[in-house]
Amino acid sequence: MFPIHHFLLLAAFLFCAGLLVIIVKRNAIMVLLGIELMLNASNLNLVAFNQLHPAQLGGQMFALFVIIVAVCEAAVGLAIVLRIYQYYQTSVPDEISELRDS
Amino acid sequence: MENDLRSTLDHIFESLLVLGPEVILSIGILLVIIVGLVKKEHAIPTLLSLLIFSFSFLFIIADWKALAEPISLFQGMLRQDTFSLYLRGLADIAGILTVLMSWRNQESQRNLSEYYALIIAAVLGTHLLVMSTNLLMVFLSLELISISSYVLTGFVFDKKGAEGSLKYFLFGSVASAVMLYGLSMFYGFTGTLDFTSEVFFTKLYPSQTPLFFIAGLMTVSGFLYKIAAAPLHPWAPDVYEAAPMPIVAFFSVVPKLAGIGVLTRFIMAINLRGAASYDWQFVLGIVAILSLTVGNFSALMQKNPKRLMAYSSIAQAGFLLIGVIAFLPQGIQFMLFYATIYVVMNFLVFIYLQYFEKNGFVSIAEYSGIGKTFLWPSIFLLIALISLTGLPPTAGFTAKLFIFSSLWEAYQLTGKNILVWLLIFGLLNTVVSLFYYLRIPYYAFIKNRESELKTNILAFENLFGFVLVLLILLFFFSPGLLMGWINKITFVFVIRYPLSVIG
Repeated sequence: MFPIHHFLLLAAFLFCAGLLVIIVKRNAIMVLLGIELMLNASNLNLVAFNQLHPAQLGGQMFALFVIIVAVCEAAVGLAIVLRIYQYYQTSVPDEISELRDS
Repeated sequence: MENDLRSTLDHIFESLLVLGPEVILSIGILLVIIVGLVKKEHAIPTLLSLLIFSFSFLFIIADWKALAEPISLFQGMLRQDTFSLYLRGLADIAGILTVLMSWRNQESQRNLSEYYALIIAAVLGTHLLVMSTNLLMVFLSLELISISSYVLTGFVFDKKGAEGSLKYFLFGSVASAVMLYGLSMFYGFTGTLDFTSEVFFTKLYPSQTPLFFIAGLMTVSGFLYKIAAAPLHPWAPDVYEAAPMPIVAFFSVVPKLAGIGVLTRFIMAINLRGAASYDWQFVLGIVAILSLTVGNFSALMQKNPKRLMAYSSIAQAGFLLIGVIAFLPQGIQFMLFYATIYVVMNFLVFIYLQYFEKNGFVSIAEYSGIGKTFLWPSIFLLIALISLTGLPPTAGFTAKLFIFSSLWEAYQLTGKNILVWLLIFGLLNTVVSLFYYLRIPYYAFIKNRESELKTNILAFENLFGFVLVLLILLFFFSPGLLMGWINKITFVFVIRYPLSVIG
């Protein structure tokens, strides 16, 4: 069995990678990818922590629910991006700026 | 084994019986969608959702009367107590007011059944979030509110609507991903998902590493995002400008109630009964000061009334936070009083903003001289804005007085400097807010215009507004009416299981 800190480090790396993708990438689809990475980092955390608490199954249950919620979020997100594309012919949030402080 | 299963099933069944309002709302979501498929008339989904919210509210009143002491439902997933009942009742009232506003709105007449189903879903999420004592429930119900809100933002079906929902979605999902990482760390520290349990306390207490602080910050930031507190507020003005008016009114109230409810519970848990080595009071104090300052000063420059109200709601979130920061039962009671008054006055403002928007007045500059043509609407709007500022003789004054008095009391008990700074910033910001809140009445009454529009004084908005104005004045002259209810709210954060105890 791998020691737990390997998993935790991987999860932390995934989380930072996701956050970096969100900040650096300009396309809304790439931002969605970054969010997905961050959610999966937490999933990995939740499952890995089960090594510390073998009697509990809460973490695994939580991870399953997170997967489902992530799917819902991606569905709604892609629908919104599609609508944005219909109106603006682009999916780069920086180029969409009708709403701003006047 | 068989006995175990049976007692578990009994427990779930008993819990379900207590959960009347949520069951009604869940069935309501399905009903509204099905009815929308079958019937094409606009009035039916509206009436049906009104009925659903009213029934849910009646159930809450019945539960309030029946509840003797807090009970834990579904093996520590949810918790039924007077605190959550009060916030749930308030969310239902906000739901009723939103439906009434939507009924008078021309923008949101497409896909009505989906529209109402999403509103009911968001209120259901609020119900569950303020009851949650479990990290999994916190995440699920927060997402239920968020995902419904992303879609509701775009219900005008135009360019701005799409942009607003994209911005809301991107900010919101990043915030919830960060919160989820914090929640997963808390699971790692304690091995339990129930953050009010004894295990959570005993595992966290001896090992308060910096990681604990980071996890707490990450989790709390998810809640602060929902109430639009300052470092996490940039989505609010854009979303408010894009969304239809009833939805803006809804966003300015319901997610805030949900966020502040769960924040109160969670901060109590991670404060470790006052034994935490990290000063959460200080963290929240900084957030409140930032919210008050950023909200009020940005509102000064706004030309669009919707954006103005967005920054106003950021500042009001700061005031709500002050009630929590006191870390006293009394502070939380006053926070609930403030929240109630906030619901009333915010809906009063938005009803008339919608009324004026319908009559073609969109920016604040266009409001000049409408005090003459729309006399009563302008007067009611003036009263609501005076109440938001916090001047007598309105309930907004009473609420602010209560909040500040609890803060002062907390300072005298603890002697922390941050509380004095918060008090000073709060008072100064109240003065700043006077300048932008009273700009709309200034344009309406002082500036002139030449137009002769005849208006119907018996319009539905006036009747509706009159009731809310009466409430604002009533709670100024006798706040005891409301405090009598709020005083019954207890803050015992200890778990008791219902009849069948599970080992």
